[in-house]
Amino acid sequence: MNQTVEKWDWQNSAQTSYWSVPLREIYSFRHLLYSLVRREFLLSYQQTLLGPLWVIFQPLMALVTYILVFTKIIGINIGSVPPVLFYFSGILLWNFFNDSFGGIYNTFRDNIQIFSKVYFPRIIMPLSVVANHFSRFLMQLVFLAVMVGYYAMFKGFNFNLSFALLGLPIAVLGVGVISISVGLIVSVLTAKYRDIGNVVALAIRMIMFVTPVIYPLATIPENVRWIVMLNPLTSYFEMFRFGLFGEGTVHLLPLMYSITVSIVILPLSLMFFNKNGNKLIDVV
Amino acid sequence: MPETVIEVSNLSKLYRLGTIGTGSIRQDLNYWWTTSVLKKENPFFNLAESDNSQQSKQFLWALKDISFTVEHGEVLGIIGSNGSGKSTLLKIISRIVSPTKGSVRGKGKVSSLLEVGTGFHKELSGRENIFISGYLLGMNKEEITKKFDEIVAFSGVEDFIDTPVKRYSSGMYVRLAFAVAAHLEPDILIVDEVLAVGDADFQKKCLGKMRQVSQKEGRTILFVSHSMQAIHNLCDKAMWLQKGKMMDLGDVTPIVNRYIMGVQQFKTKQSWERGQGPGNEFLRFENVELIPHLLSDDAPLDIRTPLTVSFEFWNNQDDVYLTTGLHLFTNSGECVFDIPTRPGIYKRGLVKGTCEIPGNFLNDGSYFISLIIVKDTSVRLFYLEECLSFDLEDYRGEIKWYGKWVGAVRPNFPFTMHQELEIPAHHA
Repeated sequence: MNQTVEKWDWQNSAQTSYWSVPLREIYSFRHLLYSLVRREFLLSYQQTLLGPLWVIFQPLMALVTYILVFTKIIGINIGSVPPVLFYFSGILLWNFFNDSFGGIYNTFRDNIQIFSKVYFPRIIMPLSVVANHFSRFLMQLVFLAVMVGYYAMFKGFNFNLSFALLGLPIAVLGVGVISISVGLIVSVLTAKYRDIGNVVALAIRMIMFVTPVIYPLATIPENVRWIVMLNPLTSYFEMFRFGLFGEGTVHLLPLMYSITVSIVILPLSLMFFNKNGNKLIDVV
Repeated sequence: MPETVIEVSNLSKLYRLGTIGTGSIRQDLNYWWTTSVLKKENPFFNLAESDNSQQSKQFLWALKDISFTVEHGEVLGIIGSNGSGKSTLLKIISRIVSPTKGSVRGKGKVSSLLEVGTGFHKELSGRENIFISGYLLGMNKEEITKKFDEIVAFSGVEDFIDTPVKRYSSGMYVRLAFAVAAHLEPDILIVDEVLAVGDADFQKKCLGKMRQVSQKEGRTILFVSHSMQAIHNLCDKAMWLQKGKMMDLGDVTPIVNRYIMGVQQFKTKQSWERGQGPGNEFLRFENVELIPHLLSDDAPLDIRTPLTVSFEFWNNQDDVYLTTGLHLFTNSGECVFDIPTRPGIYKRGLVKGTCEIPGNFLNDGSYFISLIIVKDTSVRLFYLEECLSFDLEDYRGEIKWYGKWVGAVRPNFPFTMHQELEIPAHHA
């Protein structure tokens, strides 16, 4: 009897399992993943004059605003890093988190047309969102590197290539993992209870304020710093800047906390998404 | 022995009505508690089954206890009226939604065509869309690259392949979308009524392609259609669904015939009490009837069937010169013919008439009949409008062509063609 069960390639039954993450199937749809990323990229600049240059212009526009508001008007102490570099790095990493998360948590609402007509591993869609924003992030990072070079050569910014740079990929990976994981969980919840969608946009803005995006962790008074430290993103953001500029508060314990949270939450969210993915098509 | 490639067992799908979308958290927690913690059955089953009509009204069994298997290379046609669960069944077999009870298991790669242009994005060019739609439907990169030119040629949009599809005419859009679908090479193909699009010419091309796929390449196909003609010609087996239940599964012809007889709507007989029928002071109808002479007991009313129209009316005048005209109209109100009886003198009393409409004369479609009684060949005494109606199903026999047959009539009089002169090939 067991033999006959095993010979089936696929099945669809009332019981969905937490464990059946179809890795082989996801691999067989890798071209779809690639073409979805390509599609998103083409779509964002369809019929624009500047085209892909917007990848750089968007964060640059935010940068101008941030510098005006936070250095000229409010005057946050950001240490010795030039404000342009400090804010630009924060904006890039935050946008990567924010845009991936924002794209993922609407997975079901945005793709119900396709989901209700054809089967493929649902996880492909959120993965394509992250991959898309990651590729944009990489392009922006290259631009940031150019800016750092400019500041080092002409503005006397003291840039040292050090081992701290190795922290950079860990920080980016960590931020990516958290945005996927939280995004997947929220996507299932919003598909079911739309109310949550209304709260999420607000919540994400609040989280930005407890993440060292527009300020360095060092400027936060000791007595309220724990609030910011509770946020697993904090260590990653600090490590990101530490890797780039050699300035930031990176301690082992908070870092281990962030990494543990990421490692635990990723499989949990995948299981949750997997378990509920197919049932949601009736609900959305 | 052919291999079983799809096994559907005890498949049921329950939909909650009204509250679809939100459903309260309390209900969800209740569901989670009973199924996951107590390991009991879905608590809503009992509600759906309960006699309390208030509660059972909130639930709908879109499918109920469906079990069957499909063998390799089989073409299974699924028929049923709207809301019978056909699409739900296809969606579950495609793994788009999960069933409430039971399971579907299968072997091999499945592609589902539940709509035309799955994954098409109007802002993208035809080229981009071919790739993304192909990937979504389960093709891999080599397949698409290999067939790209063929797909473009099939769709006939060569010149516009790098133009965003939003600038396409709707016909071009559909052709391109179908071209992608037509070049799929899955092990199992699931098709839902997508043939209802495009012009007649294109439909012909698509059905031809499907037939080629099923017959020459031995692919398993599940096919939902309202076109009995297409089901007849493409499928080896048919399944009839009604209100979520499987009515029958087996050979195509008897099932299709039974289904057609179930859904055909006609007014084939009307009779009235004496003096109560439609009419006026001159005459009053007693009955009208349409008698089909079916070829066999389980045959449907199709274009081959000879029909007899009979009517009776009471004539209230003495020695009157009467004639009756029979008007046959198509569904769209076009008159196909107007046939009069020979005029004659009739006395007070019951008058009976019959008209024989031969088989192999009318085209397929819906028709209705009106009767007109005329005095002295010019004075209209009474017009009995739309007293009978009937549908004629299509029948084409050997002719493997599925487009809509045009014309109000489809007569079968002698029409031949032969080779008059042959020029041997090497002389040409």
